[in-house]
Amino acid sequence: MTTPVLEVRNLVTHFRSVERGKTIKAVDGVSLHLNAGEIVGLIGESGCGKSTLSRSIVGLATPNSGQIVLDGTDLSTLRGSALRRTRSAIQYVFQDPYSSLNNRQTIGEALEEALVIAGLPAERRGARTTELLDHVGLPAAIAPRYGRELSGGQRQRVAIARALAMNPRVLIADEPVSALDLSVRAQVMNLFFDLSRNLGVACLLVAHDLALVRQAASRNYVMYLGKIVEEGASTQLYGDPRHPYSRALLASAPSPDPVAERARPRVPLTGELPSPTNPPSGCRFRTRCPVAQAACTATLPPPVEVATGHRAACLFEGA
Amino acid sequence: MNAVYDIRDLTVDLYTRSAAVRVVDGVSLSVAAGECLAIVGESGSGKTVMSFAPIGLMPEGVSVGLSGGAQLAGADLIGGDEAALARLRGREVAVIFQDPMTALNPARRIGSQIAEVCTLHLGLKGAAAEARALELMRLVGISDPEARLRQYPHELSGGLCQRVVIAMAIAAEPKLLIADEPTTALDVTVQAQILDLLRDLRARMGMAMILITHDIGVVANAADRVAVMYAGRLAEVGPVDQVLRAPTHPYTRALIDAIPRPEDPVGSPFRGLPGMPPQLAGPIGGCAFAPRCPRATPGCATLRPPMRAVAGTPGWQAACHHLTLAVIPKGAAA
Amino acid sequence: MTVFLNSARPLRVSPGLALWIVAGFLFLGLFGPWLVPHDPLKQNLLAAGQGPGLVHWLGTDHLGRDTFSRLIAAANTSLVGITLVLGIALIIGIGLGTLAGYRRGWTEEAIMRVTDVGLAMPSLIIALAMIGIFGTGYWNMVIALALAWWPSFCRVSRAVVVGVMNKPHIEALRVMGASPLRIFFVHLLPTTTGSVLVYATADAGGLALSIATLSFLGLGIQPPTPEWGQMLVDSLPYLEGDPRQVILPGLALTLVVVAFNFLGEAIALNRVPRPLGRRLLARRRAEAAAWDRPPRGLVTGEKA
Repeated sequence: MTTPVLEVRNLVTHFRSVERGKTIKAVDGVSLHLNAGEIVGLIGESGCGKSTLSRSIVGLATPNSGQIVLDGTDLSTLRGSALRRTRSAIQYVFQDPYSSLNNRQTIGEALEEALVIAGLPAERRGARTTELLDHVGLPAAIAPRYGRELSGGQRQRVAIARALAMNPRVLIADEPVSALDLSVRAQVMNLFFDLSRNLGVACLLVAHDLALVRQAASRNYVMYLGKIVEEGASTQLYGDPRHPYSRALLASAPSPDPVAERARPRVPLTGELPSPTNPPSGCRFRTRCPVAQAACTATLPPPVEVATGHRAACLFEGA
Repeated sequence: MNAVYDIRDLTVDLYTRSAAVRVVDGVSLSVAAGECLAIVGESGSGKTVMSFAPIGLMPEGVSVGLSGGAQLAGADLIGGDEAALARLRGREVAVIFQDPMTALNPARRIGSQIAEVCTLHLGLKGAAAEARALELMRLVGISDPEARLRQYPHELSGGLCQRVVIAMAIAAEPKLLIADEPTTALDVTVQAQILDLLRDLRARMGMAMILITHDIGVVANAADRVAVMYAGRLAEVGPVDQVLRAPTHPYTRALIDAIPRPEDPVGSPFRGLPGMPPQLAGPIGGCAFAPRCPRATPGCATLRPPMRAVAGTPGWQAACHHLTLAVIPKGAAA
Repeated sequence: MTVFLNSARPLRVSPGLALWIVAGFLFLGLFGPWLVPHDPLKQNLLAAGQGPGLVHWLGTDHLGRDTFSRLIAAANTSLVGITLVLGIALIIGIGLGTLAGYRRGWTEEAIMRVTDVGLAMPSLIIALAMIGIFGTGYWNMVIALALAWWPSFCRVSRAVVVGVMNKPHIEALRVMGASPLRIFFVHLLPTTTGSVLVYATADAGGLALSIATLSFLGLGIQPPTPEWGQMLVDSLPYLEGDPRQVILPGLALTLVVVAFNFLGEAIALNRVPRPLGRRLLARRRAEAAAWDRPPRGLVTGEKA
């Protein structure tokens, strides 16, 4: 078995709530791993902690405990510039391509700055900028233009080019295409395929569009209230979801075919997502779960392997 | 068909400091009572401007030139005075926006915000307004409405806030509801509930609805008819079952083809459209989609295709020179 | 307050006029020393108290000094004073404010509590207290005013930084491993400086007034250096006999203070989109109308 590029072990990230004395348990003991050249999906509703998890991995949020191991190096053992240099191998693509580029910088300046940070000597930066733009399918002529002159799709590709300037091993993309129009999403999504296959970059694709993640990712994690409830290959997870939450989530995705959409069985999830300041005891999904029983209150269900690489954290897995 | 809202050959020009641009170019549409018309298009297609400019809702500081006709429940909207339009808004036509949190005042209780709308549009005072607020909360399916009335927006989830916004919108029982991406900010599990609620209210109140969205799944779920816009023009309009399942316009076809399908193999490349939509400027001479169209012929670049009826289905029209089906020219746009 | 604003509306100065007055002030302030027709310090008791004439355009004061030259020289004094005070206050305010917004935590707490204390007291009172401690003198005045003025810049800078720090383009730099110094100096400081300078424009007027006030009280610019506040207090005993000596510096000061305030407001309002002017709108309408005319109609020729 290959060693993963990135391994997250038992990560916990809590925030102080605006309500005095309460903590938001955004990420509460999550473990996951990414292999080189693999696209992995992370799905779940908003408020499930998937954004906090990805921000914790890249250092935009501070985890309370747990380990982030990059190529065998535990990042918690590093400090200061050594940490910054090592962690820059994990890059992040933001949801909003309109605010992820500095409006005062041209595309060329933004990429140049990334290369300065990456420590590339001045004489090689020009050629590398052209190479990076070429990688994301943009002409070098775009370099002297400002971000605001570009379309959303072009900006997102510039943001990806900037991430590539750091020679990343891991790319974490948080809803990278949800702000883009349907017709240009394909260009950006296909770019992720290219990066993972040709550059061996491991991608964590955080998204709520299940059809998109299914097609792009080979493996998936499903997150609910700060915990991973199910993981598995796309064929397994989307073909045979085992956790009741995954089932409800998949069943609620609308179909673009009106006839199929009308025929789609309604599986209304009862109630609202519980507050992450005070999650339910035992299984966190039990308050909305159609198959919940008394036992679910008492114990936090451990992940159960239902098939090779397919794990679900439910006491009645398969029920 | 008794159209509640009817626009004829609507053209909207925006005048900016640097240029005049035509954002909506000769669009004709109508919505009947109890019907939901979805307007689909990408950013810059003019779908939002087309829906909001006739009722006088434009960002501050924008100069607009409107031509053509727009009628709401028999009253002319274009050329009327601003005060009359303002009276119409909220009473005859109501609007729901994408983000419910920004539509609500964070510093005031839910109840007083709904009651205020009742006072404004229905002239209800004090206890009567509060009673109506409670009734509206029940109508939009908020559980435990008495307690919710005393809460602040931040104490409610996004889905509940959107229900409150809907309650405020339907307070005066408007004839037309314009919903601009009402479920985009919500999770899929909540999305269906809101769409169900809107469908239910529409049927109960006989309200016409315009649903502006870019999500084809939402269209399939909620709409009766769909209008597809491209570069400020109507590309195709018709019943959802026909337009979404057997699109005739190449743009509609490409748009629907770009949606990932369950039968696509894992790891297979995504389908998209080549090129980019045209920059906003003056009206385009020929077909606006011609530069990206796989079926374009030299004639497409020079001659603008009129809306033509697609044979077999009443109300199904598309603007393409290459409709393969038999066509009956009808109501050619000027 | 609203009543006041409403009644003040008809008085609104056009930003263009404010800009011209400020430009005139800056020009005279910069080049005044070379432009004056007479030495502003040269006394001539024989020509004391003259009215406007060919030699002395605006007359002379009680010591026979040329009033026009003194007014211009005072602009220079005022401008140098404003620049020095703003310079020091901006460096302290922007530096500390940006640091507070960037570091957060206890650094922010400490800086902002000091700022709050500074903001809680009127700046002139702080300046007076400083001068009371350190004594009068030009540099004491400059430093006292700077210490009284920095807290507002600090507050604005911090607010800007806190807003910008959460923006993806700064977060992207953190993810790339950019050093804190790079983020601070290359990205945060230019952003805050831009925002704070707008704020400082409106403040320049208040500062001109404060310098004049301190000088009027004898705590700022000392005689014989020409300064508007000082000129006012100097000629006060002659108010009844020669009101011109009081009115002229007062008028100059008022113009500059009001102009700076309106300019600051105009710059701030400039960020709000305004509808097109009538002429531009007509031009755009004509442009759009030309599209709908059949091609032949274009022969009439549209003015571009």
